[in-house]
Amino acid sequence: MSELSVLHYRSGSSYFHRMDARFKLLGLALLSMAGLQAGTIGLGVLSLLVLAVFFITRLPVLDLARELRYFAVLLAFVWAARALSTPGHTALELAGLQFSRQGLYEGGLICWRLLMIACMGAGLVFVTRSSEIRWAVEWFLRPVPLIPARRISVMIGLIIRFLPMILDQARATAEAQRSRGMENRKNPVFRLIKFAVPLLRRTFENADRLAVAMDARCFNEERTEPELISRPADWAALSVVLCICGVAIGF
Amino acid sequence: MNPSDQLRMTVYASLMAALTAAGAFIAIPVGPVPIVLQNLFVLLSGLLLGSRWGLAAVGAYLLAGALGLPVFAGGAGGIGRLAGPTGGYLIGYLPAVFVVGLVSEKTQNRAIFDILAMLCGEVIIYACGVSWLKYQSAMTWEKSMAIGMLPFLPGDVLKIAAAIPIAKAVRPVVQRARG
Repeated sequence: MSELSVLHYRSGSSYFHRMDARFKLLGLALLSMAGLQAGTIGLGVLSLLVLAVFFITRLPVLDLARELRYFAVLLAFVWAARALSTPGHTALELAGLQFSRQGLYEGGLICWRLLMIACMGAGLVFVTRSSEIRWAVEWFLRPVPLIPARRISVMIGLIIRFLPMILDQARATAEAQRSRGMENRKNPVFRLIKFAVPLLRRTFENADRLAVAMDARCFNEERTEPELISRPADWAALSVVLCICGVAIGF
Repeated sequence: MNPSDQLRMTVYASLMAALTAAGAFIAIPVGPVPIVLQNLFVLLSGLLLGSRWGLAAVGAYLLAGALGLPVFAGGAGGIGRLAGPTGGYLIGYLPAVFVVGLVSEKTQNRAIFDILAMLCGEVIIYACGVSWLKYQSAMTWEKSMAIGMLPFLPGDVLKIAAAIPIAKAVRPVVQRARG
């Protein structure tokens, strides 16, 4: 998993590390929604908050920037499309294309919003263990009718376990086929089938063995719950988040 | 459904969710645009697991992504990704997999109806994806479709063509548990 992405938990003991995961998740959801509505002032406040979180917890900003480079391409695309399609004063003329001033401003605002939301999500992953996130989600889902919260948290645990296995199997299958001259076959449908069928069959056989092993050990969804405790500091953080949301939506 | 079959289907649904997640990172290099396998696995979830368990697989995948696990294309996950410009495609997977599963179940897995089911699924994915992209980035419909749909259509035709024999080969493995 670690080679998959730099987005994983970094140990630490900062204020944000010690916060109750439920409050972190709720705060992230509130700030993301407020961020989508925010204007310049609200986004400025959000940016200060993000910078403060990254500074206090000493998170790897450079790693994050590298991780977000594909996202940045998409943002640039959105910005350019917006600047070209909005009518207004011409601010810049490039190779016959006219970028309007209003378009540049509005496109910039949209990109700023999306970037802030991505940074906040990354911040949460850096300071919260995935098991804590799982428990918090289970806690939030419990009162919702018709949703089996326990089974969902089991499934998320299984997804995390299966991911490296699948990537290894995919690499092995691709290498085996390259050694048999698969690259000479030009038909993409043929290649897709010859790649996907062994990958699926083998991973399903692995999953089957896992299910038998779990069944043999009397696996049950009724397990002892971890205890989540909220402290006054968590409530203080939540009220700060609500204030910021008010500012972001109000201005 | 007895408890051990239910456990087996839970494990299978988690596997399909993990394959969908891995599909964002596995690409088959054909021509200039590599074919990314993510939505192939979403369609296969519907065909192999049926409507109910397919929905569970995609739901678990989206939830894992919303929690910030690195399962979405490009790595950066989180709730922000669902609200971001490409979030509509991800949300669209949910109704799409349900419809694919439903059509395929009602028609006893006949190949011609499987193709129909997957076409419905693709229409739903793009309807959700493109309209959310348009709303988020405030582009015109033509521009949203030119960026968010047209470049992917040839790949999707190939994926649907490949999904039929793949589903045929893998179904016997799954169907033992579904009974």
